[in-house]
Amino acid sequence: MKARNIDVFKLGAFVLAGIVLLIFALYTLGKNKNIFGTRFELKAHFKDVNGLLVGNKVRFSGIEVGNVRKIQILNDTMIEVAMNIDKEYKNYIRVNSITQIGTDGLIGNRLIDIVPQKGNAVFVQGGELLPSIEEINNQEILRTLYHTNENIALISEELLTTVRMINSSTQLSRLLNDSTLVDNLSHSLYKLSETTENASLFAKNAVQTLKLASEGSGTLATLLTDTSMANELRRAVSDIHALENNANQLLNNLTSTVETISSELHSGNGVANTILFDSTLSIKLKSTIENVERGTAAFEENMEALKSNFLFRRYFKNKEKEKN
Amino acid sequence: MMNLPVGIQSFLKETGEISRFSWRFFKEGFSPRFELSEFIRQCFVLGYKSLPLVGLTAFIIGLVLTMQLRPTMEYYGVEVQIPAMVGVAIFREIGPILTALIFAGKIGSSIGAELGSMKVTEQIDAMEVSGTNPFKYLVVTRTLATTLMLPILTIIADAIALIGAYLGENIYDTLPFNLFFRKVFLNLAYIDLIPAFIKTFFFGFAVGIIGCFKGYFTDKGTEGVGKAANSSVVVSSVMIFLIDLVAVQIADLFQR
Repeated sequence: MKARNIDVFKLGAFVLAGIVLLIFALYTLGKNKNIFGTRFELKAHFKDVNGLLVGNKVRFSGIEVGNVRKIQILNDTMIEVAMNIDKEYKNYIRVNSITQIGTDGLIGNRLIDIVPQKGNAVFVQGGELLPSIEEINNQEILRTLYHTNENIALISEELLTTVRMINSSTQLSRLLNDSTLVDNLSHSLYKLSETTENASLFAKNAVQTLKLASEGSGTLATLLTDTSMANELRRAVSDIHALENNANQLLNNLTSTVETISSELHSGNGVANTILFDSTLSIKLKSTIENVERGTAAFEENMEALKSNFLFRRYFKNKEKEKN
Repeated sequence: MMNLPVGIQSFLKETGEISRFSWRFFKEGFSPRFELSEFIRQCFVLGYKSLPLVGLTAFIIGLVLTMQLRPTMEYYGVEVQIPAMVGVAIFREIGPILTALIFAGKIGSSIGAELGSMKVTEQIDAMEVSGTNPFKYLVVTRTLATTLMLPILTIIADAIALIGAYLGENIYDTLPFNLFFRKVFLNLAYIDLIPAFIKTFFFGFAVGIIGCFKGYFTDKGTEGVGKAANSSVVVSSVMIFLIDLVAVQIADLFQR
């Protein structure tokens, strides 16, 4: 047999250490899950618990106050969640606090958030049913984001087209590179300012004139209020009317004359037609004019002969002298 | 039966013999007379004396695991979850399996060699002649000691591994111990701890019973002693993995 060279104290310490660590681990886990604490129960109803499990955390204003004890389906649209809450938080949670299902971090476990509300509602006693709001569905958020993204993509595409058009536009480039543009613009603005000033002045004068007119003084007032002038104007207008009538009559006569001439021209009768289209008349007229020209030449010759005649020579000389 | 290959035949034969050996352990282990002082001595030798080795490996694995996890966790931007992840890994798997393997390496071989040398030097036969039940005195005490000491070693190793992990965490980051500790335990549940703890009893039993079996039936002189030591480590290590496989399946059933 071997010598019993063992240290029972060390073995005891070793075994004890193991057992203590095991108990400590079990206790810590239990404490985290609120197994040993003093607790009270609160309830909430939800339409959808979104994967919440028994044992998930319950937070009040971000502080962990308990865990989910039981999840039970009441009917096809309602699920009851029973929560175990530490007694030490009893004096902080009011009955009007709202419960909602959230997530621990972005991809963490599901949890219940108890959100305090305004107002002096009484504190919970245990067993109360807290009001609840449904969680904003991730799918809903993603769907909205998707639409927003689509719109942003469309807008950016349109913007890109516009920018490209602006970049490729030679007119715009010329406009932007035109150094005189600023001067011209400045000048135009100056002119615009002047015009505005004038318009303002005009408006001022107009106002003044109208004021005077309403008071009964000034040219406009005279124009508007003088009856004799009005009578003269009326007379002038009636004269213009009479003139217009005469002009009409004249125009009618002229029209009838032209019509007569025109009809004569068409029919081949009348004076106008004879003048314009009768060839024998024109021949006769031509020979007559030739005879006249011949006569005139003969006459001129006779006159020259007469000038050199001694009887008349004196007379013509005197005439010339008078002329000079 | 006779048509099976020799390898399979010998495997089945050994399985049957180990089963009979285990049955004998339960039969003799729970009937008087109890070798209490030898049992306590074995607890001290097999359990307490293994603590430095187990503790050192646990500390290193906790530290290394944290450091190795960090780049990947940082890549995904979840380095704050390192304590939680290391905690789950240590408590659920690494603590029990690592301790059991180290235990199998150290204790399995020592039991196999010790009992094997006792067998070849006919000490076991001498005990029988002197009226002492060698099975009770040698096998029951050792197997019971390994079965009860390995869970304790595992729990202590888990704690040491967590300290290693805490140091590993604080190499690159500054995290107070209480926050680290809280982060580890917030993410754990009984389902992580209890099945892992229970399976260590089976690991311990496997190491003890296989070591004893291999040693108790050693033959062929000193060569047989070496073989017994070697095969007890190999077989018990394989058994540890097989038990782990079954334990995970069972634990998984409870988790669903």
